[in-house]
Amino acid sequence: MPLPLPAVTAWVLCIGFPAPPGPPLHTEIDRLIAAGYPGYDRKAAPIAADDEFLRRVSLDLAGTVPTAAEARAFIADRDPAKRERLIDRLLAGYGYGRRMADHFDVVFMERRPDAKVPRAAWEAYLRESFAGNKSYAVLAREILGADGVDPGARARAKFFLDRKLEPGTVVKDISRVFLGRNIQCAQCHDHPNVEAFKQSEYYGLLAFLNRTFLFPSAEAAGAVIAEKADGEVTFVSVFDPAKKQKGTPPRVRGLDPVADPPAVKGKEYKVAPGPNVRPVPAYSRRARLAEAVTSPKNPAFARTAANRLWALMTGRGLVHPLDMDHPDNPPSHPELLALLADRFAAANYNVKWLLREIALSKTYQRSSEGPADAPEDRYLAAAVKPLSPEQFAYAMLQATGFADAERRALGAAASDAALAAKLAPHVGPFRARFGSRGGEPEDGFTATLDQTLFVKHGGAVRGLCTPRPGNTADRVAKLTDPAAAADELFLSVLTRYPTAGERADVAEFLKASGPPPAAAAEAVWALVAAAEFRFNH
Amino acid sequence: MNPASYACGSPAHAVSRRAFLGSALGAAGVLGAGGFASAAANARLAGAGKRVLVVFLHGGASQLETWDPKPGTDTGGPFRAIPTSVPGTYVGELLPETAKRMHRLALVRGVNTADDDHARGATIMLTGRRPEAGIEYPHLGAVAARLLGSESAELPGHIAIHAGGSGFGKQDAAFLGPRYGSVALGNGKPPPELLRPAGLTEDADRRREDLRKKLNARFARSRRTAATEAYAESYDQAERVFRRAGVFDVGQEGPKAAERYGRHDFGRHLLLARRLLEAGVTYVKVSHTNYDTHHENFDFHIEQLGEFDRPFAALLDDLADRGMLESTLVVVMSEFGRTPRINHLYGRDHWSKAWSVALGGCGIAPGAVVGKTNATGTGVTDREVNAGHLFHTYLRAVGLNPKKNFYPNDRPVAVADPAADAIGEILV
Repeated sequence: MPLPLPAVTAWVLCIGFPAPPGPPLHTEIDRLIAAGYPGYDRKAAPIAADDEFLRRVSLDLAGTVPTAAEARAFIADRDPAKRERLIDRLLAGYGYGRRMADHFDVVFMERRPDAKVPRAAWEAYLRESFAGNKSYAVLAREILGADGVDPGARARAKFFLDRKLEPGTVVKDISRVFLGRNIQCAQCHDHPNVEAFKQSEYYGLLAFLNRTFLFPSAEAAGAVIAEKADGEVTFVSVFDPAKKQKGTPPRVRGLDPVADPPAVKGKEYKVAPGPNVRPVPAYSRRARLAEAVTSPKNPAFARTAANRLWALMTGRGLVHPLDMDHPDNPPSHPELLALLADRFAAANYNVKWLLREIALSKTYQRSSEGPADAPEDRYLAAAVKPLSPEQFAYAMLQATGFADAERRALGAAASDAALAAKLAPHVGPFRARFGSRGGEPEDGFTATLDQTLFVKHGGAVRGLCTPRPGNTADRVAKLTDPAAAADELFLSVLTRYPTAGERADVAEFLKASGPPPAAAAEAVWALVAAAEFRFNH
Repeated sequence: MNPASYACGSPAHAVSRRAFLGSALGAAGVLGAGGFASAAANARLAGAGKRVLVVFLHGGASQLETWDPKPGTDTGGPFRAIPTSVPGTYVGELLPETAKRMHRLALVRGVNTADDDHARGATIMLTGRRPEAGIEYPHLGAVAARLLGSESAELPGHIAIHAGGSGFGKQDAAFLGPRYGSVALGNGKPPPELLRPAGLTEDADRRREDLRKKLNARFARSRRTAATEAYAESYDQAERVFRRAGVFDVGQEGPKAAERYGRHDFGRHLLLARRLLEAGVTYVKVSHTNYDTHHENFDFHIEQLGEFDRPFAALLDDLADRGMLESTLVVVMSEFGRTPRINHLYGRDHWSKAWSVALGGCGIAPGAVVGKTNATGTGVTDREVNAGHLFHTYLRAVGLNPKKNFYPNDRPVAVADPAADAIGEILV
């Protein structure tokens, strides 16, 4: 249990950033959300009960469900500030770094198979960055400025290196991930449907990278990024019958072009090109990319980041889809998105702060049991969000008590990192079944035959449900009072007490299903296979 | 004989439910555009009950030993050409049984796919496109499952049978989404994890399913979404496939059928394919390996075609006897053909410039032959086509419009390569 510090002090200690002046952002969120729907206060779902909130925020900020003991304690806690305390505890916990690493790995890399940067180093880089609450702008600058040369900092070059620096892919994904604009179609012509996506925007971004290449070769596993001192970008629209050739200097949309300094003849390179030599130009266009993208003069950066963090928590972007930010697809709540972006930038892109404010809002804390016909983009009730493959895996490892049993087996050596090392190998099969195709954004929901058979008959899930000392089936089997057994089962898996009817169902199930350990294991399975477990609600 | 069940369920039902789910979910942008759902629905109605079987001769079968023999020339090799049931059409003598069924097939002899790499050649043939940066195209199986498959079908719509391992190939559905990816039956075994694990009795399974369903019913009372419904429904679907697990068991065919198809892997796999097609699976691909004959081309073709010929003929007979041939497109393809020049190891190397594809059944003019190669088979002299033309042809044959679009991420992508067109001469 954290010390009972006043909330504000605890917050400063946890996040290391004093609250900015003005009304707290979370009350502003609620004001602007309420303004977005006539009669909002009357029609919106009530605030979620403690168990519902606990499960939701644990999945969102720690990527897993709480233990049965945590659920009991939180539900019983009478402190009115307990939700705030919980949020702060989760943001300071080990699970937060891992959850954010898992989430942003998919945002940045989209489940591409490893090419040149091993996943372990990349995950560690992301985990440490988020756990240490690195400014999101600094993170973006590290990723977009990386060249992969320093072995100690090679992980951050994964964005470029694992895309093999393929210009079309890199430019498309910089724009999508950091600028909220999927301008892929503008590669060959102005976007046919989105008037605001121009071909010049695409080539302006490309011009930061057109002199860049992989050294010694694109195929080499240890390839690093190198750059030439010359080369211009030209393009022709496939729609232009005159085939007029245009050119562009490096430029992020809305900002001034980044002009090359005048070249001094004979001094173009710090390290001149030669056989087996990685050239280093006197002036690097690529080095300007990170600062241009994250420039305070480029509102798209803060806006896209704020929108992505909002969607992480609420299941839906204010601009939706997340990479279609253009005038014909306006935000659901324009004033709110502008406010989130401004405050996020003013707070030096403080991720924990923004997530904390969202988590504190009534909007986030509403029940997911809302009016049946509520339009999704009005936030009348909390969204029912499918668990990511990683959330599903870690929640399964916790709900079945695999994590409890491992913690117990580790005994005195049970640190967060030691436990994490025991759990991580079990996540792979979930990623393989539930993850999207490499190189595609992970959105929407599908339930395919292989996924369902994996849960239904697969050895991995069956193994987790099987009784072993200290796991859920073991604990449930040892309780002779059927009501207590049902409570332990439901709190462990679904983070709530069973209803009276469910208690009776469980009692009957356990009675009819033979020896207690085997019966308990099948009961655990029934709960982890239920839709209630597969979604964050 | 098994009562053949050709019904794929009511097409009207097919359209409603999943089209709703799909558009409500916007899963991976597959159904992004509003207009697409209805276009796909129309396509489904048109193709209701149609099926596709691809026999893929892996490694690159020799056109000269199969569909386009050149006996008595420098490049022809040692085998004779034999007459077929189609007057004037000859095939290699290693295909005696197939030759007797030539009136059920058509030949495309002017194929030029212009890529001699195994992996790219296979992709080109199965997607009907050349690989491009920035986009992957769905395989024929995914397209067929998507556009022909009934949404109420109990079994997966896209199945691949091969000698290797089992698994689920989501990649080959590309932007159509994982639902249409292939289910690979390694060595003809049932899909992974289809069968109940040891230690889980039927009774225990039923009890735990009952408990799960009770929980779902409670959850659905207040938190029903398209996604939660799809998830809950997926268990029913898995249960239906499980209950039909017998479909994957060729042992049920009896010794007579086993004898007709041959007691070897390919024979068993082709027999399994027939069972699956009969059971309502939309697309089955059966692979037959070992055609990459860089040395001893002729010995290998005696062996491989010896395995291929009889079961393939038996399959054509069975489909015809059951009245299924007119609704089943059958295609025999490779990733490419083999060089007319015979190398010093008596082998033939990769040759994509002039080779042949055989097809028959649904929508195909029986006995038609289109395209010609020169006397030594080194080049196409008449009606040259590529994999795009073939892909258009497959779709047209089963009643689909290859010129329609998919809309991944709201962007139009033609179902088949817009630079190509169907080979009208072999379509009915």
